[in-house]
Amino acid sequence: MAITSLPSDDGQELTIRIQGRFDFGTHQAFRDSYERVNVTPKRYVVDLDHTTYLDSSALGMLLLLRDHAGGDNAQISLVNCNADVRKILAISNFEQLFKII
Amino acid sequence: MPLDPRLSVLIAEDNAADRMLLSSIISRQGHRVITAANGLEAVAMFEQERPDLVLMDALMPVMDGFEAARRIKLKAGEALVPIIFLTSLTEGEALVRCLDAGGDDFLAKPYNRVILEAKIKAMDRLRRLQATVLEQRDLIARHNEHLLTEQRVAKAVFDKVAHSGCLNAPNIRYLQSPFAVFNGDLLLAAFKPSGGMHVLLGDFTGHGLPAAIGAMPLAEVFYGMTAKGYSLTEILREVNAKLKRILPVGVFCCATLLNISFQRRVCEVWNGGLPDGYLHRIATGERLPLVSRHLPLGVLDPADFKDACEIYPMALGDRVFLLSDGVLETANPAEQMFGESRLLNVFAANRQPDLLFDEIQQALTAFRGEAHDDVSMVEVCMVEADSLPRPALAFVDNGHSSPLDWAASFEFRAQTLKRFNPLPFLLQLLLEVHGLRFQGGALYSVLAELYSNALEHGVLGLDSRLKCDAAGFAEYYRQRSLRLAELDHGYVRFHLQLLPEANGGRLVVKVEDSGPGFDVSTILERQRTAQSLSGRGLSLIRRLSDRSTWADDGRGVSVEFSWIDQA
Amino acid sequence: MADIHLDSAVLAGLQDIMEAEYPLLLDTFVADSEERLRLLHQALANNDAHELRLAAHSFKGSCSNMGAPLLANLCKQLEDDSRSATVLADAPAVLEQIEREFAIVRILLKSERQRFSSL
Repeated sequence: MAITSLPSDDGQELTIRIQGRFDFGTHQAFRDSYERVNVTPKRYVVDLDHTTYLDSSALGMLLLLRDHAGGDNAQISLVNCNADVRKILAISNFEQLFKII
Repeated sequence: MPLDPRLSVLIAEDNAADRMLLSSIISRQGHRVITAANGLEAVAMFEQERPDLVLMDALMPVMDGFEAARRIKLKAGEALVPIIFLTSLTEGEALVRCLDAGGDDFLAKPYNRVILEAKIKAMDRLRRLQATVLEQRDLIARHNEHLLTEQRVAKAVFDKVAHSGCLNAPNIRYLQSPFAVFNGDLLLAAFKPSGGMHVLLGDFTGHGLPAAIGAMPLAEVFYGMTAKGYSLTEILREVNAKLKRILPVGVFCCATLLNISFQRRVCEVWNGGLPDGYLHRIATGERLPLVSRHLPLGVLDPADFKDACEIYPMALGDRVFLLSDGVLETANPAEQMFGESRLLNVFAANRQPDLLFDEIQQALTAFRGEAHDDVSMVEVCMVEADSLPRPALAFVDNGHSSPLDWAASFEFRAQTLKRFNPLPFLLQLLLEVHGLRFQGGALYSVLAELYSNALEHGVLGLDSRLKCDAAGFAEYYRQRSLRLAELDHGYVRFHLQLLPEANGGRLVVKVEDSGPGFDVSTILERQRTAQSLSGRGLSLIRRLSDRSTWADDGRGVSVEFSWIDQA
Repeated sequence: MADIHLDSAVLAGLQDIMEAEYPLLLDTFVADSEERLRLLHQALANNDAHELRLAAHSFKGSCSNMGAPLLANLCKQLEDDSRSATVLADAPAVLEQIEREFAIVRILLKSERQRFSSL
């Protein structure tokens, strides 16, 4: 699994891409992707296009990102979710905390 | 730790000149030399000196190199003692004999210093690698043992706190591994003072001790508050607040909670983050999914937490199934998952409700190919209220004597009625009276019924005739929430009188409300004949208390409980 | 190619390794070899092909270490002959050649020893 993060040109948005399994093993890499950047973005986009699997630790990691991004003031979108990912997010009612596209 | 390049080398060679030559070569390379002139001596020297490496001539008198090598390898055990055979044998068969005897390499005559040095270095690297592997293996084994011990201790503590409650009640069937708590799985069930039940199925994120840690405070709160008569929503709020406070961000508990009332034949459900539960109606065969509507526990701040439950009427024999996602994620050898559709197939194929639990279990075992121990499943059946044992109530016995002669009045007004449940508080107060403790369950049921009637029919003006069918039920509770949220005037009053009597005592409870009242005789008559879903409230009150009297206008009721002191 | 009874390059190498113990090595070889020759004769007298082969093999080894190629080859020949009992008939002749070659090597080793002592 590989995690990459890319800031927008104006540094206001950070896009994090997750390839492969998004689970317990990706913990450190995911944190690094938003902690070890030079920008302080206002918005975050988590691209799950190539994410093959998502478990409850992944949900926990999204909550950590939300906390880092300002908690209730955070603006985080989860994009390109496939049917399985959507289902998991729906059961946990995460659309109450994240924008899901 | 600096590597000591100096090895001890055993040279087993029967030819004196060759032995001398080899000794010099090896010494000059900085190693310590031990010599033997035949196989038997070689084995003896090995035993005595335990060299790091052996140079073994293949053909020797008394005992040849092959036999000596075999014996030395045996004595070395797990450790690697490299044996380099000194031989001019060229036939493949002879070389195979060397390998079979345990030889690691060969050196031909005439001896080449450079080649010998290279081989010794290589063999030594292997030897050290093997030693490291064994050391690490032992270290890992010790750590593992340590962790297992820690887990055993944690489990013992947890078992005390999260005792199985009433999971062994006759109307409950469940499946859970004894070590489930280390998978983050939690299954709790407890009787309420009224005789109803709270059930919780939970799934913490994570594994091992971190997953188990959250389970303990949750279980304490769940059991403690249930025993005192707190409502499901109050428990939900408290549990969520506690977990939010103590768990790190990113750790949470997906859970489904049930409040089952056997008196009222209803089930309240709150599902935050678990897969669908199912309410199985026997009469129609209908299976209602109990869908997750909320975020898991421990995610939201108390101010944002949503405690809205869904309420379903249940007939005798109806069952609720709750399953952890371990059920859906059970995998077969081909790594396919059991999944929701297979589960629904098992439901659809079921002909006898009593067998459904077993059929699910069998389907899982057949699919996986072996027994499973990481799924949690519970089935709760609606039964006659009297068929279940009533629990002993929780009270703190501080040894002081019983307060026997007093009166107290409480008026709970609109703003309080909206957000405070007075019942646990009143119950705890009354349980200070020793004589009342044996009737604690009946007392609670009656108070709860009186309060509910006063609030819902009196203050909120709801008509219980609405609860005639499932749809009406849902509408009733929807209106209850709405009206309670909008309430801005009204009251419910409790007047408590504790009177000592010759051999015991008597409690008189009067409840009044600000509502318009009702025609008592009509309602009593209607309730006696109806088999409706609207509860057997008034007759319950009459049955459980010693005396019950309604004011004619229906705005007040008085009930009495008395007891005789035990000798 | 001239017949090399004792390879001086090998001897130089041995001297380099053994240093002060070089003469001891030469003496040990000579003594050891005389013992081996005795064993060879004994084996032949007993018609023991197996013993003959083992002894020849062993002698071959130490000869090659010492840089005596002709002697080593003769030992090899004797070793190979001993494998087949029918060719055992050739053994006495080969053994005799070994004796003669060893005699030469022994003399050469003696002078080598003296050369070393005078350094």
